Amino acid sequence: MYSKTTTIKNETGLHARPAHDFVNAAKKYSSKITIKNLDDAEAEAANAKSMVMILAEGIAKDTHVEVAADGSDEKEAVEELIALIDSGFGE
Amino acid sequence: MQIKGVGISGGIAIGKAYKFQPLEIVVEHKCCEEGCEDEQQLRCDLAKKAAKEQLAALTEEMKNQPDKAKIFAAQQEFLEDEEIDEMIHDAVYYEHYSAEWAIESTYDQFIKIISKSKNALIAERAADLRDVKLRLLCFLTGKKKKDLKHLPENSVIVAKDLLPSDTAEMDRENVAAIVTEEGGSTSHSAIIAKSYRIPAVLGAVGAMSQVEDENLLVVDADEGIVEISPEASLLENYKERKTVADRDAEIAESWAGKPAYTADGVPICAGINIGSHKNTDGYENCDYAGLLRTEFLYMDSNHLPTEEEQFNIYKTILQNMKGKPVTLRTLDIGGDKTLKYKELPKEANPFLGRRALRLCFDEPEIFRTQLRAAYRASAYGKLQIMFPMVGSIDDWRKARDFALAVRKELENEHIDFDRELKLGVMIEIPSAAIIADKLAREADFASIGTNDLCQYLCAADRLEPSVKDYYQTYSPAFVRVLGHIIKQFTLAGKEVSVCGEMAGAHTATALLAGLGLRKFSMAPSSLGKVKYTLSKYTIEQCEQIAAMACNAETQADVMEILEKEAKKRA
Repeated sequence: MYSKTTTIKNETGLHARPAHDFVNAAKKYSSKITIKNLDDAEAEAANAKSMVMILAEGIAKDTHVEVAADGSDEKEAVEELIALIDSGFGE
Repeated sequence: MQIKGVGISGGIAIGKAYKFQPLEIVVEHKCCEEGCEDEQQLRCDLAKKAAKEQLAALTEEMKNQPDKAKIFAAQQEFLEDEEIDEMIHDAVYYEHYSAEWAIESTYDQFIKIISKSKNALIAERAADLRDVKLRLLCFLTGKKKKDLKHLPENSVIVAKDLLPSDTAEMDRENVAAIVTEEGGSTSHSAIIAKSYRIPAVLGAVGAMSQVEDENLLVVDADEGIVEISPEASLLENYKERKTVADRDAEIAESWAGKPAYTADGVPICAGINIGSHKNTDGYENCDYAGLLRTEFLYMDSNHLPTEEEQFNIYKTILQNMKGKPVTLRTLDIGGDKTLKYKELPKEANPFLGRRALRLCFDEPEIFRTQLRAAYRASAYGKLQIMFPMVGSIDDWRKARDFALAVRKELENEHIDFDRELKLGVMIEIPSAAIIADKLAREADFASIGTNDLCQYLCAADRLEPSVKDYYQTYSPAFVRVLGHIIKQFTLAGKEVSVCGEMAGAHTATALLAGLGLRKFSMAPSSLGKVKYTLSKYTIEQCEQIAAMACNAETQADVMEILEKEAKKRA
């Protein structure tokens, strides 16, 4: 298990194209990966490979999130996804 | 009877109601006997495969309309979602649900979660999930979905809500308007209505119960009103409004992209005013941008925009304008325009106070940062810089020298910029207007800000309703001042443009051309009407009109002259 936290920087937040990019990046790894909205006390960690779960997580700009992975490529997965969020998805 | 909602895309439509009730498939809670799980899962998989093929075909069919292709591409993403797949699988194998019920119950759970999202854009995605669910159930039940592919002429579609697939396949030619009970300004119905420019009223609660098929409906998308079977007088009123609005819209649309010429073939430069880098309206249809307001950079931010932030935005605008000249106006703030993050002293007369250039002189770092960003961006297109609120030769020289010092800085740092970058004045203070001949000798160009110039000349606050009759844009005094500025700059061989509201007012077009103006910069939406108006007058006629206006005695006289000439050409 490996995890890291960061803040969403892009205007759109995690839906539309950024969500699409995020899901596709997650799908490249075999580990089980989740993303959690740390600003919403009721939010549970969502499957990072599922568009519908990510949308349900309601992650807007400036939201604090935790990306966690469990599996053989957990470290690479988390690092890439955090870097993707930090890049602002090219917005 | 009237129903209210949210108006989308504007305009008025009159047509006959066509109530659309898409197929509703009622799925019963049904379990299968043990041992049938594989068969039910196979049915789910086949439905998914069929839906995937249909969506791929629709995406392909819509590939020339990226907005709509995107909708179907996004739906495919839901179809492939691993959480949804897993839940359907569990429903089939652990709950022994039938394929239909497994899909229905799974999708409904997600539709419920998504539609509760606090983010309206996410909540609207529930429509895509409903669409995908219906597509899967249609396959499983062998039912055919109703569609809007064939409609009677001039239909007003009335529906509870429209799913993305309904609108994408809609018989566009025969749709006069759309009315839905659900949906807001970001819904799929709204996106489609906007992209097709169909007048629509969404969120019209009660529409399905109050409207009967074939009722005559007036849809006023400007006001967000639907009139059901209106009385004759009201209908007549709407018909008149529609005729005028349709004609204006048609002219604006058909002329917007044409080059601007007078009736005798004198070319005119038609420009646009830009107030944000996010909106590229009019970039294609203009010859130049006569005014790039930079206030948005300062007012939308929570800090003073850095050189880098400004540089990137100016660069983007210049690149999007593809080499067409862009006139950047340096910061015009202070007085009534305030900043959240910087305290500016309150003044009794903000319009006569320390605003624009005056503030920049007092805050040289703000001015310097903006000029550095502007000069650096000039390497990426055709930029020119103008200074607002110049009231004297001293103001102009001080601003020019400031800019030249910044230029020297960049030269020393070996930073690239356009060495032919022009510096100009915005003429909006009468004391600058009167010495236009002197300014024209030194400045590279001028742009007349008619809004402020008129309020300073007439001593009437343009935002104060009680003195609106004193704010006289068509008074002979103002017309003469405009004529003087245009003449002096033209004589000096320098370009002069008008970037105030007058440039976009078709009522003033012939007058301004007659005063010698050849550059009009306006809101992008005015381009078509102004170009059309220009095409109806020869320069000689414009000059006669201008001469009469200069010799008139009152504003009413000037307006009468202009109206008479316009009527001759209506």
